[in-house]
Amino acid sequence: MILSVCGKGGVGKTTVSAVAAQALSREDGRRALVVDADPAGGLAVALGLEPRKTLNDVRKEIIEEVKAGGRDEKDLAVSLDYLLAEALTEQGNLALLSIGRPEDAGCYCKVNVILKDAIEGLAGRFDATIIDAEAGIEQVNRKVLSSVDYVLLVSDTSAKAVKVARTIKGVADQMIGGQGTGLLVNRARDADEAGAVERGTDLDVLGWVPEDDTVRRFDGEELSFLELPDCPARAAIVTALEKTGLI
Amino acid sequence: MALFEEQLTEVRNLLDGWRGSGSGRDFDCSAREPWPDGPSLVLEEETALELGNPSAASISLLIWSEGGGVEDGKVTLVGPDVAEAASASVPFGQVVIAGGTFPDEYESYRDVRDAVYDTRLAGFSVRTMPSRQSVWCRVSRDAAGRGFSLVDLGAALIDSLKSLDGVSGAQVVFVTAGVDEVKKLAGAAAGAQRIVDAMMKMYSEENYDCETCEYQDVCDTVMDLKKIRQKLAEGKGSG
Ligand SMILES: Nc1ncnc2c1ncn2[C@@H]1O[C@H](COP(=O)(O)OP(=O)(O)OP(=O)(O)O)[C@@H](O)[C@H]1O
Ligand SMILES: [Mg+2]
Repeated sequence: MILSVCGKGGVGKTTVSAVAAQALSREDGRRALVVDADPAGGLAVALGLEPRKTLNDVRKEIIEEVKAGGRDEKDLAVSLDYLLAEALTEQGNLALLSIGRPEDAGCYCKVNVILKDAIEGLAGRFDATIIDAEAGIEQVNRKVLSSVDYVLLVSDTSAKAVKVARTIKGVADQMIGGQGTGLLVNRARDADEAGAVERGTDLDVLGWVPEDDTVRRFDGEELSFLELPDCPARAAIVTALEKTGLI
Repeated sequence: MALFEEQLTEVRNLLDGWRGSGSGRDFDCSAREPWPDGPSLVLEEETALELGNPSAASISLLIWSEGGGVEDGKVTLVGPDVAEAASASVPFGQVVIAGGTFPDEYESYRDVRDAVYDTRLAGFSVRTMPSRQSVWCRVSRDAAGRGFSLVDLGAALIDSLKSLDGVSGAQVVFVTAGVDEVKKLAGAAAGAQRIVDAMMKMYSEENYDCETCEYQDVCDTVMDLKKIRQKLAEGKGSG
């Protein structure tokens, strides 16, 4: 199962992804790949992990391999597997892969294609994959991963954020197709406010997450969400994740 | 000189030394029950023994002999096996020697290499980085508990090599005895790499101008490489 967390900037994608990672970390016998697809790298911080190497580093190394010459596709494929394994930051049954920030604008389409294949191959070896996507529709549009099973849309209660979520669903239906989608309304004051959002959209609403002081504190003090105690926001996110089938 | 002759001699000398000092143990795996194939992801927390982690020494080398002398079916361990390792991570050296006839060097190399790359065993993960000549493996606790040994890995490698046309025998050497022992393979590995790189270059480029080639020195010592180049140049001339 591959679940991608998408939405407008600042609505709580990383928070939801971090809680998902924590929930998966408690599922014995299941191995989870956690992809921090935001170049700013917020999820690694939220999980208290420090990746030594990013996917962008891997990309650069593979480009060097190609440039050096003398390597056929098979050599490059096994090299990529090795480098990807090196880029995983492991914590128990979780493995984090950070995308990193691409520095050069050079187009290496072939490299991007084999990278995508390799990540999909890697995800296929895990029982669950969560992707904390970059804000907005860009990544969905570029079809960063074609085999996403569920797009978990996150918004706050603002009309703008819900509209972005709606747009993302449209693009996902077109670019991926057949995946599940649902909206999680974050930082609602109460059920009434969340209900108003639900009435104003045709999106499937999975639930709502209250504004939560424990979440604020963990974020403010940079504590690892892997240690997040039971709190109202966590409970609401876990309930929504159960509806997606991830946990 | 035949393609990997120098490296074969070097490895044989090393083997003599290891056996002579009592640090090399030989296993005959010709009648060994094969270890099952299986998925290859082993996370750190599931790992009983890691071999050749990127931060540890790791050297992998693949060569062949057309002149015989391959000790078919033999796996030699220099250092502790999976159940004997004193630490959770050990440096790793792997030497694979195939014996037989390899008429088309480039095709043969790719076949032999793929047979090694594609060997996948249950509870055992292996990653290869050709340009660093390193191999990085993990043995899961589950596999270790079921008695997985490096001899099983050696046997699987030998089996998959011998399934190839032209390969009549194969032998494998694993070194886990420490960084210094693993590094003894560095010279042979670097030599083999230069030969393979030179060969790959010939096949991937149209340029057979020796004066400007960075591998001129290798071709000068390894006659087989000169023959390959001539063959390619003639093919190009007639085509
Ligand atoms: N339910 C909540 N209660 C309290 N604070 C929250 C809640 N959800 C998110 N926040 C806070 O809102 C801020 C933005 O959240 P988060 O970083 O998860 O959003 P994001 O969508 O990942 O943002 P970006 O688009 O910048 O990556 C953070 O400071 C986070 O702690
Ligand atoms: Mg974020």
